Amino acid sequence: MLRLKLALLNVLRNGRRSFITLLAIQFGVISLILMGGFFASMYEGMREGVIRSQLGHIQIYQEGFNQFGSQQPEEYLIDGEVLQKITKLVEELEQVELVTPRLNFTGLLTDGSRSLAVVVEGINPEKEALLSSAVKLTAGEDLFEEDTEGALIGDGLFKSLNLSVGASLTLMATTADGSFDARDVTVIGAISTGTREVDNRFMRMNLQHAQELMYTEGVTRLVVLLKDTKHTEEVMALLSETFKKQGLALELRSWSDLADYYHEVVNLFDGIFSIVQIIVLAIVLLGIVNTMVMAVMERTQEIGTIRAIGGTRGEVIGLFISEAFILGLIGSVLGVIFAIFLAQGITAAGIMMPTPPGSSQTYPIRIFTEADLLWKNGLYGLLIAVISSIYPAVKASRMLITQALRFA
Amino acid sequence: MAVVKLQGVSRSFPLGNKPIIALDKLDLTLEKGEFVVLKGVSGSGKSTLLNLIGAIDDPSEGEVFIHGQRLSSLSDKQKSQLRSQYIGFIFQAFNLIPVLTALENVQYPLSLQKVANGEAKDRATEALTQVGLADFINRRPNQLSGGQMQRVAIARALVTKPDIILADEPTANLDSETSKQLMDLLGSLNRKTGVTFLFATHHDFVLSRASRILELKDGHIIKDERLKNLNLVDQIPPGEKVG
Ligand SMILES: Nc1ncnc2c1ncn2[C@@H]1O[C@H](COP(=O)(O)OP(=O)(O)O)[C@@H](O)[C@H]1O
Ligand SMILES: [Mg+2]
Repeated sequence: MLRLKLALLNVLRNGRRSFITLLAIQFGVISLILMGGFFASMYEGMREGVIRSQLGHIQIYQEGFNQFGSQQPEEYLIDGEVLQKITKLVEELEQVELVTPRLNFTGLLTDGSRSLAVVVEGINPEKEALLSSAVKLTAGEDLFEEDTEGALIGDGLFKSLNLSVGASLTLMATTADGSFDARDVTVIGAISTGTREVDNRFMRMNLQHAQELMYTEGVTRLVVLLKDTKHTEEVMALLSETFKKQGLALELRSWSDLADYYHEVVNLFDGIFSIVQIIVLAIVLLGIVNTMVMAVMERTQEIGTIRAIGGTRGEVIGLFISEAFILGLIGSVLGVIFAIFLAQGITAAGIMMPTPPGSSQTYPIRIFTEADLLWKNGLYGLLIAVISSIYPAVKASRMLITQALRFA
Repeated sequence: MAVVKLQGVSRSFPLGNKPIIALDKLDLTLEKGEFVVLKGVSGSGKSTLLNLIGAIDDPSEGEVFIHGQRLSSLSDKQKSQLRSQYIGFIFQAFNLIPVLTALENVQYPLSLQKVANGEAKDRATEALTQVGLADFINRRPNQLSGGQMQRVAIARALVTKPDIILADEPTANLDSETSKQLMDLLGSLNRKTGVTFLFATHHDFVLSRASRILELKDGHIIKDERLKNLNLVDQIPPGEKVG
């Protein structure tokens, strides 16, 4: 009790120095939380963007598709009957928002003079509109089921072919039975998925139109959108069990399995964040170790006295580390509180970010304050304070008592 | 059993190629209840001797025994514990902890011994009462006079009921009137509690309180005198003892 009180009183004794130390710790904690919170919001933006523009949460394929489908996509289609059955099974789950089929193939899009290879996606426009909320219409109008020949063209493709709404094009493709076919399509609008590479060679059309072109009743995949991303694992497990029970030869992929780019970016930024974290903490450490050393120096005689009247080395170390702990605790708690306020302020200010690389959309800065981020960085602030005091504390405990006592 | 025993104790300090010999092969035994005054001019080795007996310094040669324990056989931690249990210090500069009140300063050595807070408070209050500071227990050192601070320090040394209290020129920072009152206090505490005092000074008025006078010169004991008729405390009326 008394020893803890002594530590606390010593912290208060030199107010100015304690204040500076507190500032340094707060600076570290605040900057780490803001940066981490910004990254977290960026990850979330990317994740939801990729889910709601392309991947959905879960994709269902014919068994073998992911291994062999790229060579012979027509061999690994889910056929019409199975499609009905799966759709029903999936829609029954309460975590599911919707499920929609897609037929994917590559084709050649030509305006008569020029031809470009395109990735075609046959879709159910009503359902896809709900799923692909992150897909932005940049010209023209949305696709509807009535637009039997209509097509939405990727933003980049739209520009590179110098298209306009209403233009008529021809789409050629190899059909499911290996012959060659072509259909006319009418440009209804241009879309952006948020990923430039996709937008440069992507188009969407009505599923039925696509199926006619491909001579098939089947689809490449079923895309499932959940009510919340956090249910992904759970629903994956549920579905895979259900399919097995029903004897359906299907395979499942989650958004996370498919979002290679997302994982690369997250890994890269996590790496950057770790380095920044180390740098910031090192700066804070250097900033406060000096004041810790001074706190020890000026109390040399007191240390000698404590040792002479029976304090062990551990006692002296404990005293200085307790003082650092108190400072670290106050600094970290204040840092976390200020960081929350700042994060909310910055998010509310709605400052626009420059367009990130590889992206075609811009968005306002948001800073998340997840509990995980708060307590971890608060803890780092506390640890740094304690670590900064270890060297001076140990040094203090090893001073010669007679010399320490003579120190005035 | 002797409270303190020194056998062939020397202490030298390296200084260039010719070390300073502060103490030279001392043999000394201090008994329980003695009030020993250690005389000697400045530089004669008084502080060095007190530091060795106080287990805060190690001899270059010879052995020191406190409470029957050979100091050279103890670890740093064991020596700390020995100081905590058997030794009290009174310093020239008082050496109180500035952020703590008088009561807390006196409680502190008990908290080092892990004595429970309530008991420590009671014992510290009692010790402060013994030195006449019952009304000042909640003052900080900077709210006390020099004499009062030194009495807090005496209470701090007494509160653990040590075998011996080592006082290195405790009156050097006090005026002569205050010094005399303090000496009377120490004398009376010596008689009441039976604690051994070893008191280094170059003031002569202290000598009248002594039961034994040691004199150091150039690291040698040149005089060791036991007085029969003890100290003046007996002759002072009870009310003034605690001056
Ligand atoms: N730490 C030290 N380093 C070097 N010399 C010292 C040290 N401590 C004491 N001495 C020397 O030892 C001798 C005795 O000193 P000290 O015990 O302080 O004497 P006193 O207390 O009687 O004045 C002196 O010559 C002093 O200079
Ligand atoms: Mg001296």
